[in-house]
Amino acid sequence: MKKTFPLLSILLIMAGCSHSSAPGGASASSVAVPNYFHVDAATAGTISGSVHFSGQRPAKKTIEMSNDPACVNANQGAVYDDSMIIDDHNGLADAFVYVKSGLEGKTFAPAAAPVTIDQHGCWFHPRVIGVQVGQELDVVNSDPVTHNIHPMAQVNHEWNHSQGPGDPPMKRRFTKQEIMIPVKCNIHNWMHAHIGVVDHPYFAVSASDGSFTIPNLPPGTYTLEVWHDHLPTQEQQVTVPAHGNAKINFNFKAK
Amino acid sequence: MSASKLKSAMIVGILALLVGCGSSEKDRPIGAVVAISVPLGLPPVPIPADNVPTAETIALGRKLFYDVRLSNDNTQSCASCHDSKLGFSDGRRLSIGVHGLAGVRNAPTLLNAAYLPLQFWDGRAASLEMQTALPIQDHREMDVSPARLLFRLNTDATYRAMCEKAFGSRLLDMVEVEKSISAFERTLLSGDSPFDRFYFGGDKSALTAAQIRGLLIFQDPGRGNCAVCHSIRKNDALFTDGKFHNLGIGVGDDESLTDNGRFGQTGTASDTGTFLTPTLRNVALTAPYMHDGSEKTLEAVMDYYAGHGNSNPYLDPEMTKIHLSAQDKSDLVEFMKGLTGAMPQQAGPPTKE
Ligand code: HEC
Ligand code: HEC
Repeated sequence: MKKTFPLLSILLIMAGCSHSSAPGGASASSVAVPNYFHVDAATAGTISGSVHFSGQRPAKKTIEMSNDPACVNANQGAVYDDSMIIDDHNGLADAFVYVKSGLEGKTFAPAAAPVTIDQHGCWFHPRVIGVQVGQELDVVNSDPVTHNIHPMAQVNHEWNHSQGPGDPPMKRRFTKQEIMIPVKCNIHNWMHAHIGVVDHPYFAVSASDGSFTIPNLPPGTYTLEVWHDHLPTQEQQVTVPAHGNAKINFNFKAK
Repeated sequence: MSASKLKSAMIVGILALLVGCGSSEKDRPIGAVVAISVPLGLPPVPIPADNVPTAETIALGRKLFYDVRLSNDNTQSCASCHDSKLGFSDGRRLSIGVHGLAGVRNAPTLLNAAYLPLQFWDGRAASLEMQTALPIQDHREMDVSPARLLFRLNTDATYRAMCEKAFGSRLLDMVEVEKSISAFERTLLSGDSPFDRFYFGGDKSALTAAQIRGLLIFQDPGRGNCAVCHSIRKNDALFTDGKFHNLGIGVGDDESLTDNGRFGQTGTASDTGTFLTPTLRNVALTAPYMHDGSEKTLEAVMDYYAGHGNSNPYLDPEMTKIHLSAQDKSDLVEFMKGLTGAMPQQAGPPTKE
């Protein structure tokens, strides 16, 4: 793909066309509309559950922002690393849960609504985000400083783009499943995010209490995987009954 | 002037235009060659053999440079977009020409343009002489045909007299217009900046502590890495390598470029989105920045470099070698402010003689 993209863009330039397809994307002429799977609302079910972390919690790490005074100003007082957020009841936030297997042979239309990642207070919000293959990702900078979003993709096309204060949102898409793409800001070394790109719509990011919900699933048996920045991944099987709710809990223990 | 005289002037003008396309003996300056004094930090000015500078050609070029008759509706002179008070640029994101039409690129400074091996962001003119005719005829800039321009100039006795003195010919032709404006542009040199006095003049107090830190960062391949493209040589510094690079300016969401730059001239794929490295001399005077004027301040340019630019298939690999802290960025900005040089003498609008 890294090889074909320059070629594709040269052809487009020579044809005098200023808009090429998304990087690495298929050329417009060759794609037939895929046969998208239609989920029957009458039988669709839900997986819900939670992610917990128990045992000794990692020590809080302070973040040094003095490198950029505008970032210091955007945050009140001491700033701590936010990559491991556990609430009073051991709920673990920012875990990425997705259906790893059980949907083989089904193709899903990319969600029409874009997901947004905002650079705000010199942090990425949200810190962990899921996006479907082909779904639009809007990158916003609401800070008064220049940021730089650098998704260090390995399966997808890796890119890096500067976004000044007040610049319009960037609209990007990923073309292949990739769990996860680490994202950094080349300017502010503490800024990190992760993007999970999934080739179907069945994924979720755990909320601050560790809870998550994956709705509108066709009935069936699935393997769910949970990913967290600092923890080894876990898997569990779950069966979703027709029009029912399957519960599943993940538990991480401190080593 | 009588109608018949006017008509004959016009015919001669058109004839002069027709024959005046190539450079010939008759378009050579006849006056005594003047030595162009070069300020500290700059190399000798390259002079083409067929356009040696004379006091007369320079004076003629200066008058032409500031003359609005060089534009269709008598509103624009070269100085409209290359204003001596704005470092010979225009302070605009994109230039606005005749009929209020916006151009597509940011107007570069003309200070030290005499040293550039190629002119324009995409290098489409090989010399100042070849460059000059382009804005005059460009529909978005001055939009005046050579015949019309020569008619306007040759019906003015002052120009006829100046032409006689400069080239020994009765009427101006386009080659003479181009040569004299170029001769004037070769006097638009600016050096002797605090940096020059520090680096070449041995005056250790010419730069502040922050500026000296900035200079070191500028030259350090592992930090600023700036000097690989914005060259500083042993005895002089133009702050440009005269080459073309893709910094990712104007990259869209699909990684195509709004302006393909040098590629438009060469058709070579690796030239896609590359632009001539601009000089950084007097850069503090010439905001906004980049070929599309998209960066408003020097601070914003530093943030852009700290981020390694925008990826696209032709991004210059030197971009990823840059590593700048906030302190480094502010030191670099301070350093660049130390590149504001002495302004050339007798470069402003000529006074009525
Ligand atoms: C309407 C605004 C405008 C006017 C009028 C104008 N220029 Fe320019 N000039 C520009 C812009 C914009 C560029 C850059 C264009 C590009 O690179 O494609 C430029 C580029 C140049 C360059 C190249 C400098 C470099 O660093 O590459 C020279 C030399 C120059 N102009 C001289 C002149 C002269 C001489 C005149 C009068 C005959 C003139 N210009 C009139 C806007 C203008
Ligand atoms: C790979 C070559 C390269 C490197 C490295 C580089 N520059 Fe540049 N610089 C350029 C080019 C080319 C442009 C014009 C790009 C464009 O407009 O698309 C430019 C533009 C600029 C401008 C805007 C000037 C103007 O008149 O618009 C500034 C300021 C600048 N560079 C400073 C720096 C500094 C400081 C560094 C080091 C941190 C640096 N550059 C590193 C090639 C380079």
